[in-house]
Amino acid sequence: MFVRPLTAGTVIAGAVAAAALLFGSAAAQEPRKLLESRESLYNNIYVYGQGPDVSMTFGYNRNIYTESIFNTLDDRDLPVEYTRYMTASLLYAKNINSILEIGFGGGRTSFYLHRFLPQVPVTSVELDPVVVELSHKYFGIKDEPNFQVVNRDGRIFLNESKDRYDIILIDAYRGPFVPFHLLTKEFYTIVKDHLADGGVVAQNVEPSTMLFDSAVKTIHAVFPQLDFYVAGGNVVTVAYDGPERSADELDRTARARDSAYNLRYSLHDLLAQRRQIAIDGGTVINQDAKILTDDFAPVESLKAIEAHNRKWQ
Amino acid sequence: MAVTTANRALTILIFGNAFVVGGVLMGFEMLGSRYLFPYFGGGIGTWASLISTVLCALAIGYFAGGAVVDRYHSSRIIATAILVAAIYLMLVPAAADPVMAKILDAFGDGPTAILLASAALLLVPLSLLGTFSPVAVGLLTRSAEESGGVAGLVYGVSTIGNIVGTLLTTFLLIPTIGSRSITYLYAIALAVCAAILFLPVGKKSS
Repeated sequence: MFVRPLTAGTVIAGAVAAAALLFGSAAAQEPRKLLESRESLYNNIYVYGQGPDVSMTFGYNRNIYTESIFNTLDDRDLPVEYTRYMTASLLYAKNINSILEIGFGGGRTSFYLHRFLPQVPVTSVELDPVVVELSHKYFGIKDEPNFQVVNRDGRIFLNESKDRYDIILIDAYRGPFVPFHLLTKEFYTIVKDHLADGGVVAQNVEPSTMLFDSAVKTIHAVFPQLDFYVAGGNVVTVAYDGPERSADELDRTARARDSAYNLRYSLHDLLAQRRQIAIDGGTVINQDAKILTDDFAPVESLKAIEAHNRKWQ
Repeated sequence: MAVTTANRALTILIFGNAFVVGGVLMGFEMLGSRYLFPYFGGGIGTWASLISTVLCALAIGYFAGGAVVDRYHSSRIIATAILVAAIYLMLVPAAADPVMAKILDAFGDGPTAILLASAALLLVPLSLLGTFSPVAVGLLTRSAEESGGVAGLVYGVSTIGNIVGTLLTTFLLIPTIGSRSITYLYAIALAVCAAILFLPVGKKSS
Protein backbone atom coordinates (compact mmCIF):
# COMPACT_ATOMS: atom_id res chain seq x y z
CA MET A 1 0.00 0.00 0.00
CA PHE A 2 1.25 3.48 -0.71
CA VAL A 3 -0.56 6.63 0.29
CA ARG A 4 0.53 9.54 -1.81
CA PRO A 5 2.67 12.23 -0.14
CA LEU A 6 0.78 15.27 1.04
CA THR A 7 1.08 18.29 -1.20
CA ALA A 8 1.13 21.86 0.09
CA GLY A 9 -2.57 22.15 -0.69
CA THR A 10 -3.58 19.11 1.28
CA VAL A 11 -1.32 20.13 4.17
CA ILE A 12 -3.15 23.46 4.41
CA ALA A 13 -6.52 21.75 4.05
CA GLY A 14 -5.41 19.26 6.68
CA ALA A 15 -4.32 22.04 9.01
CA VAL A 16 -7.69 23.74 8.63
CA ALA A 17 -9.46 20.46 9.26
CA ALA A 18 -7.20 19.77 12.24
CA ALA A 19 -7.91 23.21 13.67
CA ALA A 20 -11.62 22.58 13.24
CA LEU A 21 -11.26 19.23 15.01
CA LEU A 22 -9.25 20.83 17.81
CA PHE A 23 -12.33 22.80 18.78
CA GLY A 24 -14.63 19.90 18.10
CA SER A 25 -12.86 17.02 19.79
CA ALA A 26 -9.62 16.65 21.65
CA ALA A 27 -9.31 12.95 20.81
CA ALA A 28 -8.22 13.52 17.21
CA GLN A 29 -5.33 15.61 18.41
CA GLU A 30 -3.67 12.97 20.53
CA PRO A 31 0.02 12.81 19.72
CA ARG A 32 1.32 10.03 17.56
CA LYS A 33 2.94 7.36 19.69
CA LEU A 34 5.43 4.75 18.47
CA LEU A 35 4.04 1.36 19.47
CA GLU A 36 6.71 -0.82 17.93
CA SER A 37 9.53 -0.65 15.41
CA ARG A 38 11.01 -3.70 13.73
CA GLU A 39 13.71 -4.28 11.20
CA SER A 40 12.77 -7.11 8.86
CA LEU A 41 14.59 -8.70 5.95
CA TYR A 42 12.82 -6.24 3.66
CA ASN A 43 11.76 -3.15 5.55
CA ASN A 44 12.18 -0.92 8.56
CA ILE A 45 8.69 -1.09 9.99
CA TYR A 46 7.15 1.38 12.41
CA VAL A 47 3.74 1.01 14.02
CA TYR A 48 2.22 4.18 15.43
CA GLY A 49 -0.88 4.76 17.49
CA GLN A 50 -2.77 8.03 17.33
CA GLY A 51 -6.12 8.16 19.08
CA PRO A 52 -8.11 5.18 17.86
CA ASP A 53 -5.99 4.81 14.70
CA VAL A 54 -3.02 2.51 14.24
CA SER A 55 -0.74 3.09 11.27
CA MET A 56 2.14 1.18 9.73
CA THR A 57 4.98 3.00 8.00
CA PHE A 58 8.19 1.79 6.35
CA GLY A 59 10.25 4.77 7.49
CA TYR A 60 10.30 7.72 9.84
CA ASN A 61 8.68 9.92 7.21
CA ARG A 62 5.05 8.98 7.49
CA ASN A 63 4.04 11.17 4.57
CA ILE A 64 5.86 9.04 2.07
CA TYR A 65 5.91 5.69 3.79
CA THR A 66 2.44 5.10 5.25
CA GLU A 67 1.43 1.56 4.35
CA SER A 68 -1.79 1.04 6.25
CA ILE A 69 -4.19 2.66 8.72
CA PHE A 70 -6.58 0.77 11.00
CA ASN A 71 -9.40 2.25 13.04
CA THR A 72 -9.36 0.12 16.21
CA LEU A 73 -12.89 1.21 17.10
CA ASP A 74 -14.40 0.03 13.83
CA ASP A 75 -13.41 -3.27 12.23
CA ARG A 76 -15.24 -2.40 9.00
CA ASP A 77 -13.87 1.09 8.45
CA LEU A 78 -11.44 1.80 5.61
CA PRO A 79 -9.76 5.07 6.69
CA VAL A 80 -7.53 5.28 3.59
CA GLU A 81 -9.74 6.53 0.78
CA TYR A 82 -8.28 4.64 -2.15
CA THR A 83 -8.65 1.30 -0.40
CA ARG A 84 -12.44 1.77 -0.64
CA TYR A 85 -12.10 2.06 -4.39
CA MET A 86 -10.12 -1.18 -4.54
CA THR A 87 -13.47 -2.79 -3.65
CA ALA A 88 -15.02 -1.31 -6.80
CA SER A 89 -13.62 -4.47 -8.39
CA LEU A 90 -16.73 -6.17 -6.96
CA LEU A 91 -18.75 -4.28 -9.58
CA TYR A 92 -16.98 -5.88 -12.51
CA ALA A 93 -16.31 -9.50 -11.70
CA LYS A 94 -18.71 -11.90 -13.40
CA ASN A 95 -18.70 -14.18 -10.37
CA ILE A 96 -17.28 -13.61 -6.90
CA ASN A 97 -16.02 -17.00 -5.73
CA SER A 98 -12.39 -16.19 -4.96
CA ILE A 99 -10.27 -13.11 -4.29
CA LEU A 100 -6.50 -12.70 -4.39
CA GLU A 101 -4.58 -9.71 -3.03
CA ILE A 102 -0.91 -9.07 -3.83
CA GLY A 103 0.61 -6.75 -1.21
CA PHE A 104 -1.08 -7.26 2.13
CA GLY A 105 0.42 -4.56 4.37
CA GLY A 106 -1.81 -4.04 7.38
CA GLY A 107 -4.36 -6.20 5.57
CA ARG A 108 -7.32 -3.91 5.99
CA THR A 109 -8.59 -4.06 2.41
CA SER A 110 -8.67 -7.83 2.21
CA PHE A 111 -10.05 -8.16 5.73
CA TYR A 112 -12.85 -5.72 4.85
CA LEU A 113 -13.76 -7.95 1.92
CA HIS A 114 -13.57 -10.99 4.18
CA ARG A 115 -15.85 -9.32 6.75
CA PHE A 116 -18.56 -8.54 4.19
CA LEU A 117 -18.10 -11.62 2.01
CA PRO A 118 -17.28 -14.29 4.62
CA GLN A 119 -18.30 -17.10 2.28
CA VAL A 120 -15.71 -16.07 -0.37
CA PRO A 121 -12.13 -17.35 0.07
CA VAL A 122 -9.71 -14.42 0.27
CA THR A 123 -5.99 -15.09 -0.24
CA SER A 124 -3.42 -12.36 0.39
CA VAL A 125 0.24 -12.55 -0.60
CA GLU A 126 2.78 -10.57 1.42
CA LEU A 127 6.54 -10.65 0.96
CA ASP A 128 7.50 -9.57 4.47
CA PRO A 129 6.77 -12.04 7.31
CA VAL A 130 7.18 -9.32 9.94
CA VAL A 131 4.49 -7.23 8.22
CA VAL A 132 2.16 -10.24 8.46
CA GLU A 133 3.04 -10.68 12.14
CA LEU A 134 2.42 -7.00 12.93
CA SER A 135 -0.87 -7.01 11.02
CA HIS A 136 -2.10 -9.70 13.41
CA LYS A 137 -0.74 -7.89 16.46
CA TYR A 138 -1.98 -4.36 15.73
CA PHE A 139 -4.32 -4.33 12.72
CA GLY A 140 -7.06 -6.64 13.88
CA ILE A 141 -6.18 -9.40 11.41
CA LYS A 142 -7.35 -12.81 12.58
CA ASP A 143 -6.83 -16.27 11.18
CA GLU A 144 -10.31 -17.29 10.13
CA PRO A 145 -11.81 -19.76 7.68
CA ASN A 146 -11.76 -18.36 4.12
CA PHE A 147 -9.02 -15.86 5.01
CA GLN A 148 -5.45 -16.79 4.24
CA VAL A 149 -2.17 -14.85 4.14
CA VAL A 150 0.69 -16.40 2.17
CA ASN A 151 4.22 -15.26 2.86
CA ARG A 152 5.70 -14.95 -0.66
CA ASP A 153 6.84 -12.60 -3.37
CA GLY A 154 3.74 -11.81 -5.42
CA ARG A 155 5.19 -12.83 -8.75
CA ILE A 156 6.71 -16.03 -7.42
CA PHE A 157 3.36 -16.90 -5.88
CA LEU A 158 1.63 -16.50 -9.25
CA ASN A 159 4.41 -18.35 -11.10
CA GLU A 160 3.86 -21.34 -8.86
CA SER A 161 0.08 -21.18 -8.49
CA LYS A 162 -2.38 -22.87 -10.82
CA ASP A 163 -5.43 -21.31 -9.16
CA ARG A 164 -7.66 -18.80 -10.87
CA TYR A 165 -9.39 -15.88 -9.16
CA ASP A 166 -12.40 -13.73 -9.91
CA ILE A 167 -10.75 -10.65 -8.42
CA ILE A 168 -7.04 -9.88 -8.12
CA LEU A 169 -6.07 -6.78 -6.12
CA ILE A 170 -2.54 -5.45 -6.60
CA ASP A 171 -1.10 -3.06 -4.04
CA ALA A 172 2.54 -4.05 -3.61
CA TYR A 173 4.45 -0.97 -2.63
CA ARG A 174 7.53 -0.67 -0.50
CA GLY A 175 7.20 2.88 0.74
CA PRO A 176 6.86 4.88 -2.46
CA PHE A 177 8.58 2.27 -4.59
CA VAL A 178 7.13 -0.55 -6.63
CA PRO A 179 9.32 -3.57 -7.35
CA PHE A 180 9.81 -3.47 -11.14
CA HIS A 181 8.98 -7.14 -11.59
CA LEU A 182 5.41 -6.41 -10.41
CA LEU A 183 4.84 -3.72 -13.04
CA THR A 184 5.80 -5.31 -16.34
CA LYS A 185 3.83 -6.64 -19.26
CA GLU A 186 5.10 -10.13 -18.47
CA PHE A 187 3.81 -9.78 -14.91
CA TYR A 188 0.33 -8.67 -16.00
CA THR A 189 0.25 -11.51 -18.50
CA ILE A 190 0.85 -13.92 -15.63
CA VAL A 191 -1.88 -12.11 -13.66
CA LYS A 192 -4.26 -12.48 -16.59
CA ASP A 193 -3.52 -16.20 -16.76
CA HIS A 194 -4.71 -16.47 -13.15
CA LEU A 195 -8.05 -14.77 -13.75
CA ALA A 196 -11.20 -16.83 -13.90
CA ASP A 197 -13.66 -16.22 -16.73
CA GLY A 198 -15.01 -12.66 -16.31
CA GLY A 199 -12.33 -11.84 -13.71
CA VAL A 200 -10.91 -8.37 -12.99
CA VAL A 201 -7.71 -6.79 -11.68
CA ALA A 202 -7.79 -3.71 -9.45
CA GLN A 203 -4.55 -1.88 -8.85
CA ASN A 204 -3.48 1.06 -6.73
CA VAL A 205 -1.33 3.40 -8.83
CA GLU A 206 0.25 6.59 -7.59
CA PRO A 207 -0.32 9.25 -10.25
CA SER A 208 2.17 12.03 -9.48
CA THR A 209 5.04 10.79 -11.64
CA MET A 210 5.72 9.46 -15.13
CA LEU A 211 5.68 5.94 -13.73
CA PHE A 212 1.88 6.22 -13.72
CA ASP A 213 1.78 6.79 -17.47
CA SER A 214 3.95 3.78 -18.17
CA ALA A 215 2.05 1.62 -15.67
CA VAL A 216 -1.30 2.49 -17.28
CA LYS A 217 0.01 1.77 -20.77
CA THR A 218 1.46 -1.51 -19.55
CA ILE A 219 -1.78 -2.66 -17.94
CA HIS A 220 -3.67 -1.57 -21.05
CA ALA A 221 -1.29 -3.58 -23.23
CA VAL A 222 -2.55 -6.74 -21.51
CA PHE A 223 -6.13 -5.78 -20.65
CA PRO A 224 -8.28 -4.06 -23.29
CA GLN A 225 -10.72 -2.63 -20.74
CA LEU A 226 -9.48 -0.13 -18.18
CA ASP A 227 -11.53 2.06 -15.81
CA PHE A 228 -10.18 4.64 -13.37
CA TYR A 229 -11.20 5.75 -9.90
CA VAL A 230 -9.48 8.89 -8.65
CA ALA A 231 -9.31 8.58 -4.88
CA GLY A 232 -7.58 11.29 -2.89
CA GLY A 233 -3.96 11.28 -3.98
CA ASN A 234 -4.13 7.79 -5.46
CA VAL A 235 -5.74 6.26 -8.53
CA VAL A 236 -7.31 2.83 -8.62
CA THR A 237 -7.44 1.14 -12.01
CA VAL A 238 -9.83 -1.70 -12.77
CA ALA A 239 -8.75 -3.81 -15.73
CA TYR A 240 -10.41 -6.75 -17.45
CA ASP A 241 -10.49 -8.73 -20.65
CA GLY A 242 -13.35 -9.15 -23.10
CA PRO A 243 -16.14 -6.73 -23.99
CA GLU A 244 -16.70 -3.49 -22.09
CA ARG A 245 -19.19 -3.56 -19.20
CA SER A 246 -21.86 -0.99 -20.01
CA ALA A 247 -22.91 1.69 -17.53
CA ASP A 248 -26.33 0.02 -17.25
CA GLU A 249 -24.82 -3.35 -16.58
CA LEU A 250 -22.52 -1.94 -13.88
CA ASP A 251 -25.43 -0.06 -12.33
CA ARG A 252 -27.52 -3.23 -12.15
CA THR A 253 -24.61 -5.19 -10.67
CA ALA A 254 -24.05 -2.42 -8.10
CA ARG A 255 -27.67 -2.59 -6.93
CA ALA A 256 -27.73 -6.37 -6.85
CA ARG A 257 -24.45 -6.76 -4.98
CA ASP A 258 -25.10 -3.85 -2.62
CA SER A 259 -28.20 -5.61 -1.41
CA ALA A 260 -26.55 -9.02 -1.39
CA TYR A 261 -23.46 -8.05 0.63
CA ASN A 262 -24.63 -4.98 2.55
CA LEU A 263 -21.23 -3.30 2.07
CA ARG A 264 -20.15 -0.32 4.20
CA TYR A 265 -19.01 1.54 1.09
CA SER A 266 -21.83 0.97 -1.34
CA LEU A 267 -20.82 -0.04 -4.85
CA HIS A 268 -23.39 2.36 -6.20
CA ASP A 269 -21.56 5.29 -4.55
CA LEU A 270 -18.18 4.03 -5.69
CA LEU A 271 -19.48 3.64 -9.25
CA ALA A 272 -20.34 7.34 -9.34
CA GLN A 273 -16.59 8.06 -9.37
CA ARG A 274 -15.87 5.83 -12.37
CA ARG A 275 -13.86 7.48 -15.11
CA GLN A 276 -12.91 6.35 -18.56
CA ILE A 277 -10.10 8.11 -20.34
CA ALA A 278 -8.48 7.91 -23.73
CA ILE A 279 -5.19 6.16 -23.10
CA ASP A 280 -3.84 6.86 -26.57
CA GLY A 281 -4.24 10.45 -27.68
CA GLY A 282 -5.87 11.68 -24.48
CA THR A 283 -4.85 14.41 -22.05
CA VAL A 284 -4.12 12.26 -19.00
CA ILE A 285 -1.51 9.80 -20.23
CA ASN A 286 1.72 11.07 -21.73
CA GLN A 287 1.93 9.78 -25.30
CA ASP A 288 5.66 9.15 -25.04
CA ALA A 289 5.29 6.81 -22.09
CA LYS A 290 6.67 3.37 -22.80
CA ILE A 291 5.25 -0.04 -21.94
CA LEU A 292 7.30 -1.67 -19.19
CA THR A 293 8.76 -5.11 -19.81
CA ASP A 294 11.05 -7.44 -17.88
CA ASP A 295 13.74 -6.24 -20.24
CA PHE A 296 12.99 -2.53 -19.98
CA ALA A 297 11.45 -1.21 -16.78
CA PRO A 298 13.29 1.85 -15.48
CA VAL A 299 10.86 2.30 -12.58
CA GLU A 300 13.29 4.27 -10.44
CA SER A 301 14.04 6.91 -13.06
CA LEU A 302 10.38 7.18 -14.18
CA LYS A 303 9.46 7.67 -10.53
CA ALA A 304 11.85 10.62 -10.43
CA ILE A 305 10.01 12.53 -13.19
CA GLU A 306 7.08 14.46 -11.76
CA ALA A 307 4.00 14.75 -13.91
CA HIS A 308 2.28 18.05 -13.35
CA ASN A 309 -1.07 19.18 -14.69
CA ARG A 310 -2.61 15.79 -15.24
CA LYS A 311 -5.96 16.74 -16.76
CA TRP A 312 -8.58 14.24 -15.69
CA GLN A 313 -11.47 16.03 -17.39
CA MET B 1 64.81 1.40 -16.60
CA ALA B 2 64.44 1.50 -20.35
CA VAL B 3 61.03 0.83 -21.63
CA THR B 4 60.64 -0.14 -25.27
CA THR B 5 57.89 1.32 -27.45
CA ALA B 6 56.22 -2.04 -27.69
CA ASN B 7 56.23 -2.34 -23.93
CA ARG B 8 54.76 1.12 -23.47
CA ALA B 9 51.99 0.35 -25.97
CA LEU B 10 51.25 -2.90 -24.16
CA THR B 11 51.12 -1.09 -20.83
CA ILE B 12 48.59 1.43 -22.15
CA LEU B 13 46.48 -1.34 -23.71
CA ILE B 14 46.45 -3.35 -20.50
CA PHE B 15 45.39 -0.39 -18.36
CA GLY B 16 42.67 0.52 -20.86
CA ASN B 17 41.46 -3.05 -20.73
CA ALA B 18 41.62 -3.12 -16.94
CA PHE B 19 39.21 -0.17 -16.91
CA VAL B 20 36.74 -1.64 -19.44
CA VAL B 21 36.83 -5.15 -17.95
CA GLY B 22 36.30 -3.67 -14.46
CA GLY B 23 33.35 -1.67 -15.76
CA VAL B 24 31.68 -4.65 -17.46
CA LEU B 25 32.26 -6.81 -14.39
CA MET B 26 30.32 -4.64 -11.96
CA GLY B 27 27.89 -3.47 -14.62
CA PHE B 28 26.92 -7.08 -15.23
CA GLU B 29 26.43 -7.64 -11.51
CA MET B 30 23.89 -4.78 -11.46
CA LEU B 31 22.29 -6.21 -14.58
CA GLY B 32 22.13 -9.61 -12.89
CA SER B 33 19.48 -8.19 -10.55
CA ARG B 34 17.23 -7.48 -13.53
CA TYR B 35 17.53 -11.06 -14.72
CA LEU B 36 16.91 -12.56 -11.28
CA PHE B 37 14.18 -10.36 -9.75
CA PRO B 38 11.33 -11.60 -12.00
CA TYR B 39 11.97 -15.15 -10.81
CA PHE B 40 13.31 -14.85 -7.28
CA GLY B 41 11.99 -11.52 -6.03
CA GLY B 42 13.86 -8.32 -5.28
CA GLY B 43 14.80 -8.91 -1.67
CA ILE B 44 18.08 -8.78 0.19
CA GLY B 45 18.48 -12.53 -0.38
CA THR B 46 18.77 -11.99 -4.12
CA TRP B 47 21.34 -9.26 -3.61
CA ALA B 48 23.33 -11.37 -1.16
CA SER B 49 23.43 -14.20 -3.72
CA LEU B 50 24.51 -11.86 -6.51
CA ILE B 51 27.25 -10.25 -4.46
CA SER B 52 28.62 -13.50 -3.06
CA THR B 53 28.60 -15.06 -6.53
CA VAL B 54 30.56 -12.13 -7.93
CA LEU B 55 33.10 -12.34 -5.11
CA CYS B 56 33.35 -16.10 -5.55
CA ALA B 57 33.97 -15.58 -9.28
CA LEU B 58 36.67 -13.02 -8.51
CA ALA B 59 38.37 -15.38 -6.07
CA ILE B 60 38.40 -18.12 -8.71
CA GLY B 61 39.69 -15.65 -11.31
CA TYR B 62 42.46 -14.37 -9.03
CA PHE B 63 43.68 -17.87 -8.14
CA ALA B 64 43.49 -19.10 -11.71
CA GLY B 65 45.00 -15.96 -13.24
CA GLY B 66 47.87 -15.98 -10.77
CA ALA B 67 48.60 -19.64 -11.39
CA VAL B 68 48.46 -19.35 -15.18
CA VAL B 69 50.50 -16.19 -15.69
CA ASP B 70 53.56 -17.67 -14.00
CA ARG B 71 53.55 -20.49 -16.52
CA TYR B 72 52.51 -18.68 -19.73
CA HIS B 73 53.78 -15.13 -19.80
CA SER B 74 51.52 -13.78 -22.55
CA SER B 75 48.67 -11.33 -22.93
CA ARG B 76 46.96 -13.96 -25.10
CA ILE B 77 45.87 -15.63 -21.89
CA ILE B 78 43.69 -12.73 -20.84
CA ALA B 79 42.65 -12.05 -24.42
CA THR B 80 41.30 -15.60 -24.61
CA ALA B 81 39.59 -15.34 -21.20
CA ILE B 82 37.90 -12.07 -22.19
CA LEU B 83 36.81 -13.48 -25.55
CA VAL B 84 35.20 -16.53 -23.94
CA ALA B 85 33.44 -14.24 -21.42
CA ALA B 86 32.18 -12.14 -24.36
CA ILE B 87 30.76 -15.25 -26.06
CA TYR B 88 29.09 -16.29 -22.80
CA LEU B 89 27.44 -12.85 -22.45
CA MET B 90 26.25 -13.10 -26.06
CA LEU B 91 24.29 -16.22 -25.10
CA VAL B 92 22.80 -14.80 -21.88
CA PRO B 93 19.84 -12.79 -23.27
CA ALA B 94 18.39 -15.79 -25.11
CA ALA B 95 19.27 -18.42 -22.52
CA ALA B 96 18.47 -16.57 -19.27
CA ASP B 97 14.69 -16.99 -19.20
CA PRO B 98 14.50 -20.75 -19.86
CA VAL B 99 17.37 -21.38 -17.42
CA MET B 100 15.82 -19.25 -14.63
CA ALA B 101 12.44 -20.89 -15.16
CA LYS B 102 14.03 -24.37 -14.92
CA ILE B 103 15.84 -23.47 -11.70
CA LEU B 104 12.62 -22.04 -10.22
CA ASP B 105 10.73 -25.22 -11.15
CA ALA B 106 13.39 -27.56 -9.82
CA PHE B 107 14.59 -25.73 -6.69
CA GLY B 108 11.91 -23.19 -5.77
CA ASP B 109 12.95 -19.69 -4.72
CA GLY B 110 15.04 -20.31 -1.61
CA PRO B 111 18.75 -19.55 -1.11
CA THR B 112 19.83 -22.67 -3.03
CA ALA B 113 17.83 -21.65 -6.09
CA ILE B 114 18.96 -18.02 -6.03
CA LEU B 115 22.60 -19.00 -5.61
CA LEU B 116 22.31 -21.47 -8.48
CA ALA B 117 20.67 -18.88 -10.68
CA SER B 118 23.31 -16.27 -9.81
CA ALA B 119 26.03 -18.81 -10.52
CA ALA B 120 24.50 -19.79 -13.86
CA LEU B 121 24.34 -16.14 -14.85
CA LEU B 122 27.59 -14.75 -13.44
CA LEU B 123 30.10 -17.35 -12.34
CA VAL B 124 31.63 -18.33 -15.68
CA PRO B 125 32.04 -14.92 -17.31
CA LEU B 126 33.11 -13.12 -14.14
CA SER B 127 35.64 -15.82 -13.18
CA LEU B 128 37.15 -15.39 -16.63
CA LEU B 129 37.22 -11.61 -16.24
CA GLY B 130 38.63 -12.03 -12.74
CA THR B 131 41.82 -13.55 -14.18
CA PHE B 132 42.59 -10.20 -15.76
CA SER B 133 44.14 -8.33 -12.85
CA PRO B 134 46.70 -10.90 -11.64
CA VAL B 135 47.71 -11.68 -15.23
CA ALA B 136 48.05 -7.97 -15.98
CA VAL B 137 50.21 -7.49 -12.89
CA GLY B 138 52.37 -10.45 -13.96
CA LEU B 139 52.79 -9.07 -17.50
CA LEU B 140 53.61 -5.54 -16.44
CA THR B 141 56.01 -6.35 -13.62
CA ARG B 142 59.62 -6.53 -14.69
CA SER B 143 61.34 -6.45 -11.33
CA ALA B 144 60.51 -7.31 -7.77
CA GLU B 145 60.96 -3.70 -6.68
CA GLU B 146 58.17 -2.39 -8.91
CA SER B 147 55.70 -5.22 -8.23
CA GLY B 148 53.87 -3.33 -5.48
CA GLY B 149 53.52 -0.22 -7.61
CA VAL B 150 52.24 -2.17 -10.63
CA ALA B 151 49.73 -4.17 -8.57
CA GLY B 152 48.43 -0.94 -6.98
CA LEU B 153 48.00 0.70 -10.38
CA VAL B 154 46.24 -2.27 -11.99
CA TYR B 155 43.79 -2.75 -9.11
CA GLY B 156 43.21 1.02 -8.81
CA VAL B 157 42.37 1.44 -12.50
CA SER B 158 40.22 -1.71 -12.50
CA THR B 159 38.31 -0.53 -9.42
CA ILE B 160 37.64 2.86 -11.01
CA GLY B 161 36.26 0.83 -13.94
CA ASN B 162 34.03 -1.03 -11.42
CA ILE B 163 32.65 2.26 -10.12
CA VAL B 164 31.98 3.68 -13.57
CA GLY B 165 30.37 0.40 -14.68
CA THR B 166 28.08 0.29 -11.66
CA LEU B 167 26.89 3.88 -11.99
CA LEU B 168 26.68 3.97 -15.79
CA THR B 169 24.67 0.74 -15.89
CA THR B 170 22.29 1.74 -13.11
CA PHE B 171 21.63 5.37 -13.92
CA LEU B 172 22.11 5.58 -17.68
CA LEU B 173 21.87 2.20 -19.43
CA ILE B 174 19.05 0.44 -17.54
CA PRO B 175 16.73 3.48 -17.89
CA THR B 176 17.45 3.88 -21.62
CA ILE B 177 18.12 0.67 -23.54
CA GLY B 178 17.00 -2.38 -21.54
CA SER B 179 18.80 -5.33 -19.99
CA ARG B 180 19.21 -7.51 -23.07
CA SER B 181 20.69 -4.72 -25.18
CA ILE B 182 23.07 -3.82 -22.35
CA THR B 183 24.24 -7.44 -22.20
CA TYR B 184 24.99 -7.42 -25.94
CA LEU B 185 26.77 -4.07 -25.52
CA TYR B 186 28.99 -5.57 -22.82
CA ALA B 187 29.72 -8.60 -24.98
CA ILE B 188 30.81 -6.33 -27.84
CA ALA B 189 32.96 -4.20 -25.51
CA LEU B 190 34.69 -7.35 -24.23
CA ALA B 191 35.17 -8.73 -27.74
CA VAL B 192 36.87 -5.46 -28.74
CA CYS B 193 39.12 -5.66 -25.66
CA ALA B 194 40.06 -9.23 -26.55
CA ALA B 195 40.74 -8.32 -30.18
CA ILE B 196 43.07 -5.50 -29.13
CA LEU B 197 44.99 -7.82 -26.83
CA PHE B 198 45.41 -10.28 -29.70
CA LEU B 199 47.09 -7.57 -31.81
CA PRO B 200 50.81 -8.10 -32.53
CA VAL B 201 51.75 -5.52 -29.91
CA GLY B 202 50.04 -7.64 -27.34
CA LYS B 203 52.32 -10.59 -28.06
CA LYS B 204 54.90 -11.60 -25.57
CA SER B 205 57.30 -8.68 -25.66
CA SER B 206 59.59 -8.99 -22.70
